[in-house]
Amino acid sequence: MNEKAEELNRVEKKDLFASGHRACGGCGQALAARLVHDAAGENTIACVATGCLEVFSSPYPDPSWRIPFLHSLFENPAAVASGVEVAYKALKKGPVNIIAQAGDGSTADIGFQCISGMFERGHNVLYVCYDNEAYMNTGVQRSSFTPYGAWTSTTPMGNKTRKKNLPLIAADHGIPYVATATVDDFKDLQRKVKTALSIEGPKYIHILVPCPLGWGHPGDLTVKICRLAKDTGLFPIFEIIDGKVTNVQKIPVKVPVEEYLKPQGRFRFLFKKGVPTEEVAEIQKIANQNIERFNL
Amino acid sequence: MEKLPLGLALDLRKVVPYKTGSWRTLMPVNIMQTPPCTNSCPAGNDIRGFLRVLAEKQDYEEAWHVLTRTNPLPATCGRVCPHPCEAGCNRRDFDTPLAINSAERAVGDYGLEYNLKHKKLISKRKEKVAVVGSGPAGLSCAFHLAKRGFQVKIYEANSEPGGWMRYGIPSYRLPNYILKQEIDKILELGIELECNVKIGVNIPMDHLTQHYNAVFLGLGAQMGTSIKIPGEDAQNVFTGVEFLKLINSGQIVEVGRDFIVVGGGNTAMDCARVAKRLGANVSVFYRRTRVEMPAITAEIDEAMEERIMFRYHTNPLKIITDEDRVVGLLCEQMELKEPDASGRVRPVPIEGSGSVYPADTVIMATGQAVDYDGIEIQKQNDQWISTNENLMTSIDGVFAGGDAVLGLETVAVAIGQGLRAASAIEDYIEGDVESQLAPPPVIYSKDLNTYYYTHEKRFSKKAVSIHTRLKNFREIYPSIDHQDIIKEAERCFSCGLCFYCSNCYMYCPDNAVKISPSTGRYEFDLDFCKGCGLCAKECPCHYIQMTLEK
Repeated sequence: MNEKAEELNRVEKKDLFASGHRACGGCGQALAARLVHDAAGENTIACVATGCLEVFSSPYPDPSWRIPFLHSLFENPAAVASGVEVAYKALKKGPVNIIAQAGDGSTADIGFQCISGMFERGHNVLYVCYDNEAYMNTGVQRSSFTPYGAWTSTTPMGNKTRKKNLPLIAADHGIPYVATATVDDFKDLQRKVKTALSIEGPKYIHILVPCPLGWGHPGDLTVKICRLAKDTGLFPIFEIIDGKVTNVQKIPVKVPVEEYLKPQGRFRFLFKKGVPTEEVAEIQKIANQNIERFNL
Repeated sequence: MEKLPLGLALDLRKVVPYKTGSWRTLMPVNIMQTPPCTNSCPAGNDIRGFLRVLAEKQDYEEAWHVLTRTNPLPATCGRVCPHPCEAGCNRRDFDTPLAINSAERAVGDYGLEYNLKHKKLISKRKEKVAVVGSGPAGLSCAFHLAKRGFQVKIYEANSEPGGWMRYGIPSYRLPNYILKQEIDKILELGIELECNVKIGVNIPMDHLTQHYNAVFLGLGAQMGTSIKIPGEDAQNVFTGVEFLKLINSGQIVEVGRDFIVVGGGNTAMDCARVAKRLGANVSVFYRRTRVEMPAITAEIDEAMEERIMFRYHTNPLKIITDEDRVVGLLCEQMELKEPDASGRVRPVPIEGSGSVYPADTVIMATGQAVDYDGIEIQKQNDQWISTNENLMTSIDGVFAGGDAVLGLETVAVAIGQGLRAASAIEDYIEGDVESQLAPPPVIYSKDLNTYYYTHEKRFSKKAVSIHTRLKNFREIYPSIDHQDIIKEAERCFSCGLCFYCSNCYMYCPDNAVKISPSTGRYEFDLDFCKGCGLCAKECPCHYIQMTLEK
């Protein structure tokens, strides 16, 4: 048992997602992709939807991928991954780790029915969502993961809707494993990927990946912003195993949401001459609801 | 040309990855800055260095060698130093500073226990240097010169080496056998020692300047000065220096019942605590208050713990004698007025406030001076030896350091001066101008990313109970457990030096931090580093910093 726990907690660095990709400096998604695939190991097939990750990592002739990589349309990485899984079964090959992955737009809006289908059919696939809270690749358009109050090019006065809570929706499909993570705690993230891959059936991991360009913060703050998202309660970290919320990461010291909002350009207009507006109070309310709901 | 698989126009194995390093405007560099502990240590000890050795390798032997690169007396300093390093420690803004002083003592004691030997840097040179005085300044200077191969001879006026550490510091703070072992280790480097020789009295100063290439004067300030009040020549009136010298030479002093110490410095505290151990009823008279006392805070605290009475705002006027023996002390009360030249508030007597206190012994620990008997040298304020910035005195080739130059200071300050003088003497003999590189800037708490450190309890040394410690002259802090100190060393922030936390390695989105196959250290792959600065931001100890592209 101890050996298994040690194996899960070991930090992996294999550079399966190699240098030379074209992501912006300080890109959270590039960091998350490397951490996920290093944890998964060589025996992995990546099915990646169109989006930043695919664009910056896969141009011919020098892709960053050191594992088999399958590029699909914006809407169907889950369906493609399902097909790969079934093909492996039909060919009596494997076992192999199949990771379908996409950004938040593909996951929450365009590709949602494919994901729902994959969960419902029960394919042995890990679905990883890199959540940067807007369509960053095409120029920062609003997605249904865009949080309340955030600026995007399609919500210039701030987003008026709340973020869709996909981890809970995924869990309600009755799948065995759902988790949320951020890139700041790489140990936790890699443990979750390894745990997920050790479970048979559809799994879902939701990773918050700051986008320095779309969020309007310097690249060196990527990790700090993640930490603030957790410590304010805006991004709760938990696992749902067989429908039960467990391993909720407690907030050591609760931080007011202003700390999280202020360094980010997309929330800058919520402060008039440094004084927070009503929207900030609304965001604080969302954070407080999260804290209460997940007992952070 | 080799035939490629269908659909491929290029052999992917031969493709060179796209060098994203060309996007960079800022680049990360490793900068080893000065930690605040070393910055505030008067002896310039590499504190971070020896603590990291303890934490990473649990190697006391290597830690001892790191520490003795600057300080030849770690076991002594670990006992008597007022540890300004702990006041500088960046951890004070996080939880509590490291117990550096206890760690130093543990390492020093280990060196004595396992009889570790100092290493010579250069084997032998023909130049000779005389060192006058075997106090901390003289010993440190001799040590550093001997390590550099010079032939050193120490002249000591007393019968045993150690200067004020031997004759001033009582053995409950610094046992003689510890000091003796440490001095023996220094002398093992090939240093000659001649005791009972007073320069200027037994041997003229000219003899030294003629026969040696350079001379170092570590005279110390071992002459008690008094404030000149009537009745001072009575029996049982001593200066603090006289009293401590008598006690530490093993002589018996009849202190009687009521024992009054006048003064608020370290010598006064030592006299008071010695007398308490001799069974007297001790009070310390000081004309200002505790805040202005020049003694080390811990010394005052310990004296108070030992039930020594403190009378502030009290100034002696006259020693009352009966048949040439002290019977009392006439004092007046003072009030404090605006500060004087030394920055301390000026005491002014209150009229008609005189009162008499009974006394069997009176100690005047009111000041110390240099004993210049037979030494002609330029002085500043008629008191301390004046030197230039290289510690050279008015006589060519004669250097000076320690209390005789700076006034009353600590052992660590004297050791630091000895080191400085040794390198100045080396430069003087070699005819070099010292190439002084400015030390790298100091790291302060604001530079650190303390998220990655955890709160840990500070090690605290346990003292013998007051009841037991007043019965004898044994050390009041018994020996320290080695494992406790290793745990304490692990608390070190390692300000400005990599401690392999792997943050840079794991957080780089571009995998541009690699482990060097030759050194095992983290290094930057500048071909791919985009200069985002994430590693510098998440480096806990500020070892990685972003600079402009070269």
